[in-house]
Amino acid sequence: MARLVFTSMGTVISVLRPGPELPASLERAVREEFTSRDARFSSYRADSELSRVARGDLSSLTAGPEFRATLHRALGWEEATAGAFSVRSPDGILDLAGIVKAEAIEGAGNILKQTGLHDWLLNAGGDVLVGGHNYGAPWKVGIVDPEDRSKVLAGIELLPGQRALATSGVSERGSHIWSASGRTPFSQVSVLAPDIVTADVLATAIMAGGHRTLEAACSRWDIDALCVTVTGELLTTPRLRLQLQVKPTHDGALPTSA
Amino acid sequence: MNTGIAERGWSLPEAASAPSEDYRSALRRRLFAADLAVVLCWASTAGAVALYLLSGGVSQIHSKADAVTALGIIAGLAGTNLILIMLLLAARIPWLDRAVGQDVAIGWHRRLGKPVLYLILAHAALLTLGYAATDGLDVVGETAAFLSNRDMILAYLALALLLAVVVTSLVAVRRKFPYEAWHLIHLLSYAAVLLALPHELSYGGVLAAGTVERIYWIALYLLAYGAAAWYRFAKPLLLSLRHDFRVVSVERLAPDVISIHLRGRELGRLGIAGGQYATWRFWSARNWWHSHPLSFSAMPHGDLLRITVRGAGSGTAGLAGLRRGTRVWFEGPYGLFSRHARSAPNLALVGAGIGVTPLRALLEDSRHSGGETALLVRASDESQLYLWEELHTLCEWHGGTAFADVGPRSRATSSWLSADAVRRGVSLQSVFPRILHSDLYICGPGPWAELVAQEAKALGLEDHQIHLERFDS
Amino acid sequence: MRTRAVLGGVFSSAAILIGAWSLSGAPKAVHVAAAATTTGTTTPGSGTASSGTSGSAGSGSTGGASPAPSSTASAGKASGTYTGSVVSTQYGNVQVQVTLSQGKITDVTALQLTDREGRSVQISNYAAPILRQEVLTAQSASVDTVSGATYTSEGYLTSLQAALDQAG
Repeated sequence: MARLVFTSMGTVISVLRPGPELPASLERAVREEFTSRDARFSSYRADSELSRVARGDLSSLTAGPEFRATLHRALGWEEATAGAFSVRSPDGILDLAGIVKAEAIEGAGNILKQTGLHDWLLNAGGDVLVGGHNYGAPWKVGIVDPEDRSKVLAGIELLPGQRALATSGVSERGSHIWSASGRTPFSQVSVLAPDIVTADVLATAIMAGGHRTLEAACSRWDIDALCVTVTGELLTTPRLRLQLQVKPTHDGALPTSA
Repeated sequence: MNTGIAERGWSLPEAASAPSEDYRSALRRRLFAADLAVVLCWASTAGAVALYLLSGGVSQIHSKADAVTALGIIAGLAGTNLILIMLLLAARIPWLDRAVGQDVAIGWHRRLGKPVLYLILAHAALLTLGYAATDGLDVVGETAAFLSNRDMILAYLALALLLAVVVTSLVAVRRKFPYEAWHLIHLLSYAAVLLALPHELSYGGVLAAGTVERIYWIALYLLAYGAAAWYRFAKPLLLSLRHDFRVVSVERLAPDVISIHLRGRELGRLGIAGGQYATWRFWSARNWWHSHPLSFSAMPHGDLLRITVRGAGSGTAGLAGLRRGTRVWFEGPYGLFSRHARSAPNLALVGAGIGVTPLRALLEDSRHSGGETALLVRASDESQLYLWEELHTLCEWHGGTAFADVGPRSRATSSWLSADAVRRGVSLQSVFPRILHSDLYICGPGPWAELVAQEAKALGLEDHQIHLERFDS
Repeated sequence: MRTRAVLGGVFSSAAILIGAWSLSGAPKAVHVAAAATTTGTTTPGSGTASSGTSGSAGSGSTGGASPAPSSTASAGKASGTYTGSVVSTQYGNVQVQVTLSQGKITDVTALQLTDREGRSVQISNYAAPILRQEVLTAQSASVDTVSGATYTSEGYLTSLQAALDQAG
């Protein structure tokens, strides 16, 4: 198993490929998908386009086409989720970090596909997109137990049609402004979807919007969800329930080596 | 939850909701009362001078010396009228507290201090010069002549006291003078004004018996001293006896922050509004000589009351050792930092450090009005997020949001936010999207609170939407 | 202090003083000089005082009311409407039109709304409780990667994902 691990967007990105190492040019192209977006959208860089728009130094109309495309995609999702997914952080600042990371994963995935690679896995800070198989077996993603982050709560196989999995929770990423109110009933929400942007946006939206958004999202999009409530209970959609319940058990202590 | 987030979005119109009509009429009444107070200050001073003019004072001017004397008399009349107004402004009159707030009234009181001193000094100097010229004496000789009169000796004493009061106040403002000593000297102003009364009534015949002027002045003296005696001394004493507050317990929230729980009788009759404060005197051996202006940090519950204090001042440090059962006297409740000052449908609260205490009570005392509620607390580190659990629970109860901005302040720019928040572009407008239709309550250290108020004014908030309480501990 | 209060105070005081002055009769020495001069000096005198006050107050309120500085500052910012990209949902598409005024988003209108009738058909995809034990026994097979709330670069070091990456 070949692995590429690098840091961007304040998190760590892992790329897995069953077989030989990725060519150096492909590695560079994958990195570039993350680093170029990071420069444009980082709220941690005062000179990024996002920071300039957020401060009002730059109009979102005169910002670059890539910036506008992402902003308007995010605005579309805000509309579609009745505001549960928001382009702003709770303190009102333009914050596209979630959708930008998902777009970077999407872009990197497209590059891998275009170069003819069939089997690969991308994990950026816990959001996962896969192609093909792992030596013929389905890619399997472990969902972290929010009550004990050293443990896995469930293993989910990413089957054709549901290639992306994103998890939203009480983020480690510490912002100095946070909100204690408006808490939702969930401590963690994982969403399984055909594409990573849908998975990421809806996981964020359900986390923020609670049961109403969960119900609305599950009925309007072809997704599956695994939610952990603040009291530690689990909720899941029927299709995922079947997968979670029928799997035979092996002894699979972590970490595993392929 | 979902709707709460949707409502916070920027796509919703900033529509004012229906109850704003109630706020508006209350605001109109309050502003009218405040303006009336200002007009009365001006008009009564003009009236005092006008009475002198009407009595023919100016028509008797035949020489330069007469003119100097008349000017001296006018300066004395205007100065004394303003001193009595100062006493009224400091008399804790409930009508004034409801109209402008005790802090604003005291602010006016302070601003009058220097002009009044100049007027009284001019009065003394001009009359000495005028009389000296008329009598054909020099200034020393005229002063000696004045000092042969008992009423005039008292008047000179009054002048000396007044000088002491104003000078110590100017020094005290620069914090070079212990508060308690300043306060004691300040109380001498009551004596000063009284000591000046005999010469006003007897000397020069301006306030001769039977004139309208004499009636006006005696009435004004009675009003000012009556108000001070009742509202500053008798009423607090009676209320302290009636409510009979005792210390129940002292709860330590942080190494230098304590909550004092009090038990008293008939708390409902106090009419406390969340956000108000009272001046407390704890009858223990260490604390009885010192009074503490402290905000209520919660609304009364049954017969229990809570105040929260950070021990920065020399006196407040001793409060931690208060014992159960200690008798507590108080003056209050005072202040317009409460729901009585509301003028808009939404509520935006900004507090720093221990400045959250009145906001905590204000939140508890605010009714659901259909408007939004949001709170931003500023702290340099998490250990300074006092009463945080209570604050966000109350915010949640209002369907609102509580934000904490924790981190060191920005060094590059002068901002009331943390360096991190400034870098991200956080502002009043971003945290409170409906700020223009909100009442903004700010409580924290003076310079910090001013920065918040400046930003609010730059956004276009009206003065009456901004409510500021300085906590300079 | 509010303009109304200051103007009220100045005018009432001026009225009281002028009234008293004229009723009391001006000092005889000056009065003899010329009656015309007396009225001439008093009226413009008080006129200057009051117009001076109202003038400064007037200019002050103009400065506060008209947003001259803010309009200059925002002159370079764009206004107009912009149509966003289409977000497809299972039962229809969502497209938004964004209205900007001086660089700020003032309105968002949905151009294409999702067909909400599809909702009742798909309501069967409802998330229901599942026992932890059911999942825990089912999940113990080895995993290739780990999904959790976003970890920071620092948080990664102690994450399960780091363990997996090292193992490979």
